[in-house]
Amino acid sequence: MARKCRLHLAPQALVCKNTILEGDIRIGNGTVVHIDASIIAKNGPIIIGTNNIISDRVKIVNNHTTPLVIGDNNQIETDAVIEGRGIGHKNVVQVRGKVVGTSTLGNNCVVGVMCETDPSENVPDNTILFGNPQSRRTRSDNNAEYLEVHNKHLQYVHEMLPRYNAIIGAE
Amino acid sequence: MSSELDSGSQLGVLYYCPCSGCMRTTDAPVKASKQKREFAELAEEECRAPLDISTQKQLAVLRTWPIEKLYYCDDCSEVRCPHCVIEEPAGYHCPNCTFDVPTASVRSEKNSCARNCFHCPVCTHVLVVVVVESTQGDGGQSCSVLSCAVCMWDSREIGWEFETSTGISAQIERMRAGGSAVKEYASLLDYWRTVQRTASATAVGSHGLTSSASFKHRLTSAGLHGNTTSVDSLPPYKAACYVDSGAELTEDFKALEDANIIPFNGDPRTKEPQRVRLHMKLSRRCRMCHHILIKPESKAHNSRFKIQLLAANFLPTITFPNSLPASKARGSLLEHINTTPLRVGSTAPVVLRFTNPLYTEMDVSVDVGELDAAQTDVLAPRFTLPPFAELWEYDEDEDDSSLASPSASSSGRGSVKRGIIHQHGNQIAIQLDVTPRAQTQKLTIPLCITCTHLDDMAEMDTSDTSTPRRIVNTFWAYVSLGTVN
Repeated sequence: MARKCRLHLAPQALVCKNTILEGDIRIGNGTVVHIDASIIAKNGPIIIGTNNIISDRVKIVNNHTTPLVIGDNNQIETDAVIEGRGIGHKNVVQVRGKVVGTSTLGNNCVVGVMCETDPSENVPDNTILFGNPQSRRTRSDNNAEYLEVHNKHLQYVHEMLPRYNAIIGAE
Repeated sequence: MSSELDSGSQLGVLYYCPCSGCMRTTDAPVKASKQKREFAELAEEECRAPLDISTQKQLAVLRTWPIEKLYYCDDCSEVRCPHCVIEEPAGYHCPNCTFDVPTASVRSEKNSCARNCFHCPVCTHVLVVVVVESTQGDGGQSCSVLSCAVCMWDSREIGWEFETSTGISAQIERMRAGGSAVKEYASLLDYWRTVQRTASATAVGSHGLTSSASFKHRLTSAGLHGNTTSVDSLPPYKAACYVDSGAELTEDFKALEDANIIPFNGDPRTKEPQRVRLHMKLSRRCRMCHHILIKPESKAHNSRFKIQLLAANFLPTITFPNSLPASKARGSLLEHINTTPLRVGSTAPVVLRFTNPLYTEMDVSVDVGELDAAQTDVLAPRFTLPPFAELWEYDEDEDDSSLASPSASSSGRGSVKRGIIHQHGNQIAIQLDVTPRAQTQKLTIPLCITCTHLDDMAEMDTSDTSTPRRIVNTFWAYVSLGTVN
């Protein structure tokens, strides 16, 4: 029942074998896809940029015919769901956060723990969704400290993940 | 304890404390020291003053507790409920950094944490101190700011940047104290303290200052007598910050109003983070004899208790068993007690399990209170609960009458009391036959329980150590049986 996967992996991408990959998927350099993640390009392709961290149990599903584009340097934490039309750069989708419907995220956004975007909205740059009941605010810093920590995380994962998990060899 | 079988029915047992401050379940004399005797007598008067029935009924809701919430004073041999205990603080700590705050600092720091613990003004989560690059100055300098991990709020948004990552509170104080109004206030205080000291030094009497009237009197009298170190010889007050000119009077006034003189509270309008409030650990005492019932460890990280006198350790716990373990002799599993739904007119068996927490035997007698809504027959009104002992000391189960035939001692062992369903260790399950008379959402049966046991602790006060004391506790328990159809 799994459709043939046309997977295009960049040379430095790190994708575990125990993931569910279906459809047209392109993954950029440096991106890490942890165990049990599902990237299902159901009706349209999925294009993932460079240096993303896609954690375990993440579901990235493209229900639309247009490509679902994920930018660079994003961190998508455990059990998150990305069903929208795409996200930009340097975003964080926290644990069980959801980008639903046809929504998009801009850049430097944070979807908090168990928070959701509206079904069809383009979340502007620098927006933070947080809390229960959910509210949002705009961040006032320029997210300058994000890259340093993110790169350290990436480095660590690139080092440790292959030691304990089977990795898909790059084609 | 609620049954899991039927989500609609809420089975539970609540214990009643008839206190208006204290509960008398025994007739034992109140033990109170001589000084506290007056209080004790007053309290007894309170207890004995009868309330009329309707008030009692309405108040009963407030006075029923599950047994986990009740305490037991072993001095008075009485049950105490949360209303009839005295609470006092046993230690203060910050809930965020779990730092134990000494009692003296609590007052001076206005019940707040004096370290780096603050609440985010946007989402009220606790802020974290983070080292970042400074936006002021040269840039490239590192400084510490408070930041919220949930909403990404930063103290840079209100202009707070700190040099070091510790002692944030002190740095905030210093920032606030820079305000001119605060400085003015401080210097005014100093000046008037000097005046006070001089005035009291020249006073004729040596009582010190007891009132403002006497202070004024001394001021004027000192002036009249013309002492050398009089108040008049002190230089007049010089404004620390404000220039004394009439034209600037209104501006001064405005500045004083705006000044945030209260140093510890965050003003919600200016979106400043508030300090985290300290938490207390409470110890509880019996209201009558002031015996300590609960005493926690004062250290924040330690959640044990030095003294823990709970009702569950002295009174039998009454529960609804879902199923009882099978006896080996019978070879069948007694399953699903208390499943019979209640219907008007039909008799349903209800099984209650009594557990004896003591190391001595306990005689229990169960009587039913008056109830219009149902008729209850207690099949085993009097029984003895064996003491709590190690499991391997227990004999084989002495069963038991089956639910179907409560009168037959069909196990053949003889001398089995009618109504006792099951006996294991320190627990006895008895059967009540409940015949509801009316439909109701929540059928509650009052039971009057009397437990008697011998006191095995050595008596310190009395000289008579030969006969151990008999302790009798009588209390009401309300048994909720759920919906009657």
